[in-house]
Amino acid sequence: MMWQQFTPELYHFAAALLFTALSMTRRVDNRRDYWVALSLAGGGLIVCLAAVRAEGLLFLNTYKVDLFAQLFKVLLSMGLFLVVALCSELNGVARRWHSEFYLLLFTCTLAMMLLVSSVHLISIYVSLELSSYSLYVLVALRRDAAMGTQAALRYFLIGIFSSAIMLFGLALLYAATGLTYLSDLVQVLPGVIDQPLVLVAVVLTLGGFFFKLALFPFHFWAPDVYVGAPNQLAAFIATASKVAAVAVLLRVVAATGGQETLLVDSLAALAIISMTVGNLAALVQKDFKRLLAYSSIAQAGYVLIGILCMSPEGADAAIFYALALLLMKFTCFLAVVKIAADGGNPSLDALAGLHRRSPLLALALMMAVFALAGIPPTIGFTAKLLVFSAAMHKGYLVLVLIAMFNVVISLYYYLLIVKAAYLTEPAVETPAPVLSLSARALTTALIIAIVVVGFYPNPLIVMARQASSSLF
Amino acid sequence: MALFYAEFPFLTAILLCCGAGLLTIMLIPSNHPQLIKWVSAVGSGLTLVLSVYVFIAYDQGLGGLQFVERYPWIESLGIQYFNGVDGFSLPMLLLTGIVFFTGVLSMWQLELRVKEYFALYFLLVAGVFGLFMGLDLFFIFVWYDVSLFPMYLLIAVWGSTRKEYGAMKLTLYLLAGSALILPAILYLVAVSGLNTFDLVTLTRPGLFTPFQQKLAFLLLYLGFGILAGVWPFHTWSPVGHVAAPTGVSMVHAGVLMKIGSFGVLRLGIFLCPEGWRYWAPLMATLAVIGIVYGALAGLRQTDLKYVVGYSSVSHMGIVGLGLATVSVDGLNGAVFQMFAHGVMTALFFSSIGYIYERTHTKMIPELGGLSRIMPRAATFFIIAALTSIGVPCLASFWAELMVFIAAIRVFPVHGVLAVSALVISALFMLRVIQKTCYGPRNATMAHLPDVSFSMSLPRVILVMVIVLFGFFPGLMVDMIQTASVPLLGGSAHDVAAVYP
Repeated sequence: MMWQQFTPELYHFAAALLFTALSMTRRVDNRRDYWVALSLAGGGLIVCLAAVRAEGLLFLNTYKVDLFAQLFKVLLSMGLFLVVALCSELNGVARRWHSEFYLLLFTCTLAMMLLVSSVHLISIYVSLELSSYSLYVLVALRRDAAMGTQAALRYFLIGIFSSAIMLFGLALLYAATGLTYLSDLVQVLPGVIDQPLVLVAVVLTLGGFFFKLALFPFHFWAPDVYVGAPNQLAAFIATASKVAAVAVLLRVVAATGGQETLLVDSLAALAIISMTVGNLAALVQKDFKRLLAYSSIAQAGYVLIGILCMSPEGADAAIFYALALLLMKFTCFLAVVKIAADGGNPSLDALAGLHRRSPLLALALMMAVFALAGIPPTIGFTAKLLVFSAAMHKGYLVLVLIAMFNVVISLYYYLLIVKAAYLTEPAVETPAPVLSLSARALTTALIIAIVVVGFYPNPLIVMARQASSSLF
Repeated sequence: MALFYAEFPFLTAILLCCGAGLLTIMLIPSNHPQLIKWVSAVGSGLTLVLSVYVFIAYDQGLGGLQFVERYPWIESLGIQYFNGVDGFSLPMLLLTGIVFFTGVLSMWQLELRVKEYFALYFLLVAGVFGLFMGLDLFFIFVWYDVSLFPMYLLIAVWGSTRKEYGAMKLTLYLLAGSALILPAILYLVAVSGLNTFDLVTLTRPGLFTPFQQKLAFLLLYLGFGILAGVWPFHTWSPVGHVAAPTGVSMVHAGVLMKIGSFGVLRLGIFLCPEGWRYWAPLMATLAVIGIVYGALAGLRQTDLKYVVGYSSVSHMGIVGLGLATVSVDGLNGAVFQMFAHGVMTALFFSSIGYIYERTHTKMIPELGGLSRIMPRAATFFIIAALTSIGVPCLASFWAELMVFIAAIRVFPVHGVLAVSALVISALFMLRVIQKTCYGPRNATMAHLPDVSFSMSLPRVILVMVIVLFGFFPGLMVDMIQTASVPLLGGSAHDVAAVYP
């Protein structure tokens, strides 16, 4: 009975084991690895969908299977599937390492699935570390070893630093309350959150998740890692990894209660700094992936607004935002991968004339960029509307105004992307990106999803509400 | 507000015409430009027919909101698909239909990326139609942005003079406006405590405290005011108009700027009447500065499109002044002026577009003697200019008259200043006519052909509309009455009493 609720995790664990075996065979066959990974990831998505209604508490009550966790597992497996689908031309990674690449992608997804279900401080920490370590190695797999290693090292150092801070926070939290179960903490924390020790403990604990979300002040890794990592992996970090961070932040922040406290103010300050820093830095970027990294930092700020509301509406909004981020960022990286077919880092100039070379890709990129900028009727707009509406119901008018002005600032560099794709003509004629039939279908599906979910989000909002009901 | 539901969803049909046109255009291969143009003409023609029908079929005796359609959309947030029209939105729908259709015809000569142009154009106009008929704050905001973001590409790809700069400036300015509108909408929805975006429910008196109304009105006024070209937020407007291609200038100056003042009216004034009364002096002052500034700045311009761009700032100031008077006459004049200015500017840009296409210049010193080189084109231009000055028997005259009467009654100083600015604008318009259409003929242009009959069709339609409403202003004023009188507290039956 217990194992049934644990199927998605077991499935991904088994998939990782299979790739361990494949990585030990002598014959290097990239096509085989790709198709195995793709079918396994597709199977994973089906397994997660099938298990979406499972419920229960496992492993001494440290592991909670509920709609909230299962929904995020669906998102994670969807992210994995989409990213693997991009790996048909995995030119950013040396040929002999492809099976290791998939192996680590699966362990990382597994770790993030564990993370979204963890309701105990230690299990949260352990799953967080497992996912981070998979990513450190993955970044270093870049074919250009110097670039990959440098980025991985930076990622590792900042990651270690933030996890040390988080551990310190966890220790303080235990010292102040003597509790490690989130279900116990939720009873006690609201009463004591105003004590300086508890407040510091909570903020430091959240630091570990801020690192995952690339939120100020733990955002320094993002630009270098996005640029240094293989393009497909950057897509994974920008999508699945962020989704997991949103989930765990929601769980932990919800455990602190919903009152007006200093915690909300500090989170609001972090959100504002994060979006402002991200947006201002993105204005001057020339490298496409670096620009997307800074835009991620800004987006993290918007998500945090939904989380800091600590209300059911805010949680709905954050869940919806996570889905939106997954689709929007993935579509951008789809363009990155297809434009840089050799696995290099495309600059904004590489987008020149894209509307002629590949109208479909240009349209998808434009829709994704407008969605990131929060222009209706796209999924990004609906996500922002939900977040801002939740904040407004809490009375945070100034916060919403600042966020909206950030949206306007961000529009400038998003429009630069559109301009590069639609207006600029390339100086040297570059070959058109090759889109196979399945890639065309995927791109079209993404465009439709971005628009349709943005225009008619009702079913997803209803589902998000059901999922968030277990938080409060 | 009374609601009268529709039997056949005419309003949705208008949107569907735009949507179907857009889809059809997307599906036609881009090597059939002629087919794309015909599809565009048919699609836009259908919307024109539908909007004329709705305008005529509206029952003025009943008043209130008619052709109402209402379906739940996002239930947890209280968002509905909710459309309806009243005396304020009908003139705007009619205007959009006219400008949309004539805008398509004015771009018949387009050769560059025809498919993308008309697809974006349809998207833009769908947003405009949706906004004018929308009664749900969520949808109003969505349509607002839908009508703005195609603008960037439309100007940056197909425009002229400093097009990329103009496009970027315009887009950033207008979306900065939306950065004020969305918080204002969410704020009102949140403080109402009703969990609904339904405009009609939220207009219930006493729902918002005076402070809330003042705050929200200020945000809405500034947000929509940017789009309406209110001084000092107008600077995007001349630059953007000059950079845009003909059809886009027409829709932009003709219709999009009206979205701004319509937004102030529909959201600001309907939801926050207290805020409206409180901020009216500020609105009047900014409006008059805009009127005078637009007229003076126009004097110095040498580019025809800049002349019209600045005159738009001036004319939109008249709309703002009318709204600021908090009176039936002022509202009637303001909405009438929105309509009249829309048609007039469309005619202006349409004729300048033709002149530019032939002569490849829109600089006033380089033109001359156009009335002899291309008499028909010059005639259209002169009619537009005369309408702009406010010559009697042309639509603008009545609108401006009503606004000025109301303004002098409420804000005497502002009113007098505004009227005197009209003299300046008359001076500069006549000077422009004299320099471009009369005077010595520019020899290099003497061989250029005049507007052919088929090409003059869109301009003829616009002239007919201007003359029709110039001779029969009652057609428009009676319609606007049905909304403006109840808005200021009178019942629908008082309508007849105001203008016996």
